[in-house]
Amino acid sequence: MRANAVLFWILSLFFGVLAVIYPLWGILEADYVEPAGTVALSLTSILGAFVGFYLQKSYNTQGAELPEDRSDANIDDGDPELGFFSPWSWWPIVLAAGGASVMLGIAVGFWIAIIGVFVTVIALVGWTYEYYRGYFAR
Amino acid sequence: MRHNGSVTSTSISPATHVPVVNRPNTVAVGTIVWLGSEVMFFAGLFAIYFTLRSTSPELFTFEANRLNVPFALVNTLILVSSSFTCQFGVFAAERLQPRSTGWKPSQWGMVEWFFLTYALGAIFIAGQILEYATLVHEGIALDSNAYGSAFYMTTGFHGLHVTGGLIAFLLVIGRGFAVRNFGHREATSAIVVSYYWHFVDVVWIGLFLVIYVLK
Repeated sequence: MRANAVLFWILSLFFGVLAVIYPLWGILEADYVEPAGTVALSLTSILGAFVGFYLQKSYNTQGAELPEDRSDANIDDGDPELGFFSPWSWWPIVLAAGGASVMLGIAVGFWIAIIGVFVTVIALVGWTYEYYRGYFAR
Repeated sequence: MRHNGSVTSTSISPATHVPVVNRPNTVAVGTIVWLGSEVMFFAGLFAIYFTLRSTSPELFTFEANRLNVPFALVNTLILVSSSFTCQFGVFAAERLQPRSTGWKPSQWGMVEWFFLTYALGAIFIAGQILEYATLVHEGIALDSNAYGSAFYMTTGFHGLHVTGGLIAFLLVIGRGFAVRNFGHREATSAIVVSYYWHFVDVVWIGLFLVIYVLK
């Protein structure tokens, strides 16, 4: 995890330096600061710092190295609960159909989009509550 | 070496030195990475704005001075305060308390705090719609000129994000009602929605500074 955080901090630093060089270069060459590239480079630097900071924070609260970061760990050391993963689900396909209908409707005929909105809402609710109702309720 | 009776030691001694690790939550890390991509989405919108400012300064100054700054400031404060109520909801979710145990805010559960957050976010959206209606009435529209396009694209996409956050709050509140035993999975969904909400809030502060203060 430490290496992951450091990689993102390096990216952040790199783009941060470029975000300073780029506008200065523009001033030297053409007496003009090109805004789109300056904004993009600055926010890419923020992107790196954002993810780097979060990984750093997660690493600090970890208490120890993850088994996958240790050369002396065994396979079964990295066998805690990683989270909940649905074994299978139809809802993503329904949601994709809903999103596709909305986009298609915007492109060719708006009535399709109205149907698509309903399908999207049903799919979102169905997916969110798939493991909260009926047989799987918890 | 096989255990054929001629050896007395075990061939594998399990490692006992691996300490308990507080493994990072994959949902939370995934949300942060996705929000990183959202940073770049808004980078494009900010780039549109700054490019317009540098290529058409007269148009920009003229149109920007027609914006109602005090109104937007109040709306901004409402959105910022919703971030705080959202965070109190997260604190409740982290102590695994979905519902209130009394009328006092200190006894509120996640559901009550998130309803309040929802109300504040909805007021923000309603305020933005009012602002749009006023501006269109005064002649700044999506198709009036480049400034109108940039203004409605940036604030509009942000408004859509806030609306998406409001829907996410409803879904998390629904989970608070639906679940019998409020556990870490439900707390995780509350926490990642709060990450998103804080992110959208910070983006708005950036937009507010660029659009209304910097002019």
